[in-house]
Amino acid sequence: MRFLLSSLIVFFLGCTPYPKKLGYSPDQSKSKTFTNPYFSDLQKDYVYKANISAFKNEFSGILVIKKTDENKHRVAFTTELGNTIFDFSIGDDSFEVNHILKKMDRKLLLNVLEQDFRTLIKENIAFTETYAKENTKLLKAKIGTKNHYYNFKKDTLQSIAKVGNQKEIVVITFSERSENLARHIQILHKNIKLAISLQAI
Amino acid sequence: MYRVLAIALFLVQALYPQSKMSMEEAQELQAQVKQKSQSTKTITSDFVQYKHLDFLSNDIESTGEMAFKAPDNVSWEYETPFSYKVLFKDEKLFINDNGNKSKLDLGSNKLFKQLNQLITASISGDMFNDTEFDIAYSKENGNRMVHFLPKDPQFSEFIKAFHISFSDQGAVNELKMIEPSGDYTRIIFSNRVENKAIPDAVFTQ
Repeated sequence: MRFLLSSLIVFFLGCTPYPKKLGYSPDQSKSKTFTNPYFSDLQKDYVYKANISAFKNEFSGILVIKKTDENKHRVAFTTELGNTIFDFSIGDDSFEVNHILKKMDRKLLLNVLEQDFRTLIKENIAFTETYAKENTKLLKAKIGTKNHYYNFKKDTLQSIAKVGNQKEIVVITFSERSENLARHIQILHKNIKLAISLQAI
Repeated sequence: MYRVLAIALFLVQALYPQSKMSMEEAQELQAQVKQKSQSTKTITSDFVQYKHLDFLSNDIESTGEMAFKAPDNVSWEYETPFSYKVLFKDEKLFINDNGNKSKLDLGSNKLFKQLNQLITASISGDMFNDTEFDIAYSKENGNRMVHFLPKDPQFSEFIKAFHISFSDQGAVNELKMIEPSGDYTRIIFSNRVENKAIPDAVFTQ
């Protein structure tokens, strides 16, 4: 009986909507659209030293992001010595692989990278629901088929959480922010052992 | 204004035309580089690296120090804009990424082994091996330049061509590694010192 009760509690907690779990309440805020500023400047080369930890393997290199057109970004990863590992073009409805090392050309890996980078660079976001807690806000939007929650503190984007079954799947955190640039970015996967840490150089 | 510029460009081109080296000149360069490579036991040099990606507004610039000790120890240490050291030693690759150390055994990986040999060879420039490369000799802006095109298709997936520019003494001034896409890494060496003892610490991780 006790087991049944605790199972039920776990079950219902599991079903609790993600914003409620974090202590947020619905809010009738008017801001329903948002422009992610961190990769929005056409003139700027966004260059980061990247450390990737994947299934107990450590890699490092240089991640380069460039807005090449309205709603289009180029994302490339090279080693420190300069060899290009991958190079993608990401548009609102498109994803092109300009280059990838043959050994890495796996559909599953490409999907993960595409989704992570698409969320990271997506500029114009339309929100469907708004939540608030003290001076922070949580706004829900759909990217692809998944729900994403944008966390704002005093109108500054702090993090984006990709959520499935009311659980975090991937969390992107922006820190060391100044003038529309996040100098440190952490992409943390909660269901697979993958973490990407970016430091602007 | 444009006319002046055009004339100036024409004059520069006329003064320093890009031309093929004669067979004798190519042989002389080969012999000079080989001789230098054999007599050079250590090299230290500063470098500036420019990573060119066509879609970027500016090349990514990094600087550091290179050290070489015959036969095949190479330390490649970036100082700006990040701290990163890669050390090729005893068929192993040691990395020190701002304090995070890791090691890769090259012996088991044919490609990495080749890469190691190539890096070692490109420091001295002694890559005149026509079973591995198609080789073209030219003179550009008064400098002697050699293009090495890897023949191994597995390797040319990474690098389409090495362009090496040699000094009058037969030392490598500049190295350009061109990827199949046309993007490239250009490395310019300066303050080169030869045959001076290098502290062991340089070749430790």
